[in-house]
Amino acid sequence: MQSVFLMLEIRNLHARLSDGREILKGIDLHVAAGEVHAIMGPNGSGKSTLAAVLAGRDGYVVTEGGVRYQGRDLLAMPADERAREGVFLAFQYPVEIPGVNNTYFLRAAVNAQRRHRGEPEVDAGQFLRIVRAKLKLLDIGDDLLQRAVNVGFSGGEKKRNEIFQMAMLEPRLAILDETDSGLDIDALRVVARGVNELRAPDRAIVMITHYQRLLDYVEPDHVHVLQDGRIVQSGDKGLAVELEARGYGAFGEAGGEVPGDAA
Amino acid sequence: MNAIVDFPVKPEVRPYLDAFDRGAGHNAHAEPDWLARSRRRGIARFAETGFPSRKSESWRYLDLQKLQREPLLPAAAPSGAVLREMGERLAHLALPETGVRLVIVDGRFASELSSTDVPEGVWFGPTCSAVAERPDLLDELIGDVAGDAAHPFAALNAALFGDGYVLAIAPGVALDQPVEIVHLGSGAGAGSFHTRSLVTLGAGSSASILESYAGPETGTEAYWRNDVVGVRLADGAELARSIVVEESAHSVHLAQLDVTLGADAGFTGFALVLGGRTVRQEANVVIAGENARCRLDGAFVVTGTDEVNIVTAVDHRVPGGQTRELLKGVAAGRGHGAFQGRIIVREDAQKTDAHQLSRNLIIGRRAAIDTKPELEIYADDVKCSHGASVGDLDEAALFYLRARGIPAEEARRMLIDGFLREAVDTVGDLATRAHLLRHLARRLANLEE
Repeated sequence: MQSVFLMLEIRNLHARLSDGREILKGIDLHVAAGEVHAIMGPNGSGKSTLAAVLAGRDGYVVTEGGVRYQGRDLLAMPADERAREGVFLAFQYPVEIPGVNNTYFLRAAVNAQRRHRGEPEVDAGQFLRIVRAKLKLLDIGDDLLQRAVNVGFSGGEKKRNEIFQMAMLEPRLAILDETDSGLDIDALRVVARGVNELRAPDRAIVMITHYQRLLDYVEPDHVHVLQDGRIVQSGDKGLAVELEARGYGAFGEAGGEVPGDAA
Repeated sequence: MNAIVDFPVKPEVRPYLDAFDRGAGHNAHAEPDWLARSRRRGIARFAETGFPSRKSESWRYLDLQKLQREPLLPAAAPSGAVLREMGERLAHLALPETGVRLVIVDGRFASELSSTDVPEGVWFGPTCSAVAERPDLLDELIGDVAGDAAHPFAALNAALFGDGYVLAIAPGVALDQPVEIVHLGSGAGAGSFHTRSLVTLGAGSSASILESYAGPETGTEAYWRNDVVGVRLADGAELARSIVVEESAHSVHLAQLDVTLGADAGFTGFALVLGGRTVRQEANVVIAGENARCRLDGAFVVTGTDEVNIVTAVDHRVPGGQTRELLKGVAAGRGHGAFQGRIIVREDAQKTDAHQLSRNLIIGRRAAIDTKPELEIYADDVKCSHGASVGDLDEAALFYLRARGIPAEEARRMLIDGFLREAVDTVGDLATRAHLLRHLARRLANLEE
């Protein structure tokens, strides 16, 4: 039997905001290559903070514990190096960047990664061929590429653009921060297809979500419930169904929120 | 005491008066009387006003002390050897396509570098030729010598100009190709270049102009460029004029643009300021005909200890005029940028629609930007607004780029480029826009924060 390759190893992770508030209070999580994990939790449980800390956003202080990514100390790497090493965060709120063309941005990202790996950069022509192939997959029009990054995009377009970037960058570890929120059912299907397309034995996906509905389309191997900065329960996809029926309240003291509720 | 004026003058003015007496910068003997008279009026006016005081509102952000201490007198005409060297520099600065192009080196027309063949109905050439061939046009240009206390250098320019260009288009003629004017400084010696130009468009005609101002890439000789351009658009005429300022490290660039718009005329001005020790771009637009439209957009990058000052004034005198201004500035190092934008809406100028926006980015801890919008509204049925902001790079955008693997330094450049590009994107002519973006990219590649 082949040994399991550990993609992400989070050990007793504590993190607080720069204002001192502690948000993560000891998270333990192991994600192996080839696996899809769902992290579910009510608002304020620390889901987005976890994503931000993994991606290297400023403004968070890790006070205890650590994170290993492919055996290396993830937290020691600057955010851009993490990305070049294959960590991808799909943003809950993709940022609008006026004046920066989407194609130009994406080629800069792809080439930064290629330089990092010692591969030759792709020119505009080669890049366009790769782009065209991936666009089909996500049902994205060419016009989106000619616009400034996320500027004037609808909510659905922004999320699709995130998945499109993920498809272009082919990460080893993808973290999807509430990628399903704000999507209508058609957009959700497209996004889910993009994620499923990326499932691979040498890749791990962590989906952070408030609701269970994304999991109808992307079936997770493991489901974790995050409550007040800790993982309070882990299980298989059956756990998500149970959450749907009983609400987060059943797993901790706080709230009686049902994950199927509309936001 | 001086032969030209019979009153005592400030010491910083005297060297220029003496130079005028010696006939520096122009050939007084070969010129018609009307021009000689106008030159004398100009120098007398400058003698009276002297250098602008920093108490003067429109000069308060610029430090001219060095120029005041160390006079830069009109430069001699460039030698043949200098002109030959300029060919290479020109290839770097001009539009890649060869079209209609007039080149001015050290303030003098360089015919061997120029190609001024234009279609029927268009007159295009150096101001000196226009003096002989089209004095009718120059009456307009020379006749109303600007030179109130706020514009002393326009008066000096009237006295000392060595050349410039004139573009005159007959009514109803449309020039499709952009007309290019390149002002080069050779660096052959210290001095000043005074250029005076005129663009006059007949009713319903149209043209676009790209004007570049550049000094030598290296060299330590100081120079002062004093440029005055007059623009007259008759009813329904359309002019787009874009300029790039890439002066050298030891330069003073003072430019004044005066535009008068007839009814339904449209002027679109764009200034990209990328270099120069002391740069001041002033644009004055008079909305003299009903329903005229004016755009004044621009972008600047100021670094080192350089100064850039953009000064605009749009005077709505009649009803129905429209003004749009978008100015974007980036200050790095210890650079200092300033924008002063005045919009005047006079009592008769009902239904005026004016909007001005000044957005600025400070990326150096010791850099500074001043922005001063000024709306003076005397009419009651108008739509006028302005906005101004000065800020740092957007942290969220920076993180977004880094989260895609783009190194922090490259990400910063992308954001600065994108910030300025938004203004450049207002330029309609695609060849001109591409040209401006190339220059901008080259400048940002060498940006020292």
